[in-house]
Amino acid sequence: MSDTAIARAFLPAKSAFEQVGNMMILTTRTIAAAVRPPYPFGEELVGQLLFVLKLSWFPLLISTFALCLGAPGLQAAGALSLFGALDRLGGFFVLTAIRWIGPLVTAVVVAGVAGTAITADLGARKIREELDALQVLGVDPIKNLVVPRFLALMIITGLLDIFAIVFGLSAGIAAELLYDQPLGGFFATLFANASITDLWGSVLMCTLFGAIIAVVCSYKGMTATGGAAGVGRAVNQAVVISLVAVFFFNYVFTAILLATNPELQTIR
Amino acid sequence: MRGATSIGWLDMPRGWLDAVGELARFGSRVAGLVYSGRVLKFFGESLRQAGILILGSALVIWAFVFILGLQCGIQGAYFFRAQGVPAYAGLFAAWCDLREALPYAFGYILSAKVGTGIVAELGAMRISDEIDALEVMGIEPVTFLAATRLLAAWMVLPFLYLAGIGIMYAASYLAVVEQIADVSSGGYLLIFWTFQNPPDLIFSLIKGMVMATAIVIVGCYYGYTASGGPVGVGTATAQSMVVNIVLVHIIGMLGTVVFWGANPRAPIGG
Repeated sequence: MSDTAIARAFLPAKSAFEQVGNMMILTTRTIAAAVRPPYPFGEELVGQLLFVLKLSWFPLLISTFALCLGAPGLQAAGALSLFGALDRLGGFFVLTAIRWIGPLVTAVVVAGVAGTAITADLGARKIREELDALQVLGVDPIKNLVVPRFLALMIITGLLDIFAIVFGLSAGIAAELLYDQPLGGFFATLFANASITDLWGSVLMCTLFGAIIAVVCSYKGMTATGGAAGVGRAVNQAVVISLVAVFFFNYVFTAILLATNPELQTIR
Repeated sequence: MRGATSIGWLDMPRGWLDAVGELARFGSRVAGLVYSGRVLKFFGESLRQAGILILGSALVIWAFVFILGLQCGIQGAYFFRAQGVPAYAGLFAAWCDLREALPYAFGYILSAKVGTGIVAELGAMRISDEIDALEVMGIEPVTFLAATRLLAAWMVLPFLYLAGIGIMYAASYLAVVEQIADVSSGGYLLIFWTFQNPPDLIFSLIKGMVMATAIVIVGCYYGYTASGGPVGVGTATAQSMVVNIVLVHIIGMLGTVVFWGANPRAPIGG
């Protein structure tokens, strides 16, 4: 009796642990397939890179600009204008646009745009039993489908981060202009406070976000079951899991980066 | 499935221009059905949807909000340590939590969990012809499927949001006072509570609820108009997520401009 009660209480947790474990297995198998020759995925990789870039650039542009204009731009400019220190906004944008919001918004947009498309694509192939057919033909779906998506998402998320930082900083410039400020002070504090560590931390973090999103979305797509409702449900779960995983990883990475690089914490 | 080469660079903004009018018409129709009270015919269904929202989404929303609260805490703590006033991490935490991060976190996780969930559910109903069956049985499908979900969201989400504020505050407190530990509990809380007041809470709630309304309507629209078999449901789910993310950011920015753009509402100076 107690056996069944315990089993029932831990049943949801059990399936969650199983899924995390399966995703880890998929990650290692993907990395192994990516480094071990032959490399048959060149064309698919280029196709996926273009696909993600074409889908993501416009939502990312609007999202970063809107978020950076509202949250750090106008809120911080409002507070700084009370002190008459609006030139300090540049230093603040190092924290927000480069270290925090740039990578995070890139991850949210890539997960919402490219991750969902990957899950929908792979899920549809799974439902139509194309993945099984590939395996029968002797084509490894991990090597030919997951690896190019994994590499493409890692590369493109890292590169889109630069794009997001540029548009985040232009939102900061817009906030300065809304307060009728000259831009010299903004750029002076921005370049005084920005460091190489900030930039590589941001890009590295974003690349790893891409890896997380690719693995979660590929896994959910490849394990979709249950017909029409199944693909939609897989997309739903994939995007929730990737968002929570990305935000949690961001917290851990930021805490480690800031704690191990004290030079980021000096004000100039 | 659309190939990588078949989509152009401008397809996405062009698709939105097509969809925006249809979305606005569908949204006003659903909101009208709720506002005029015709949805009350199916109040039981609304309660069932509210229950699904609470049981299915509350824990995910709160976990997400908790993580973002931790982030607000550490970012603020390190920034103000650099400035030499670690106690003012409370200022960053108060504004970040209440004014910006919570509405955005709420919008992200709602579009991911609730929005795409609605598309997957309604889309599956659409392509297995269940929605046509409802119409044949004399039940108005928009009222029964879309308006009940919007009413359920309006009934449940304000409370989830308010509880989320508490959870986020607790997370920021943990990050600043327990994890970074530059400032005492009293010093942090003094600044933290000084830099917020009840109207800020109302503004933040309005921002979150406008986002929630938009997300539910977008979800219902894409699910209701899904076509093209199982693949079509997956594609519609993916498309709704893109539209939702952009809408969340635009609503967030407009909310900031309207509520705090002209007056930063800070107890500084005269």
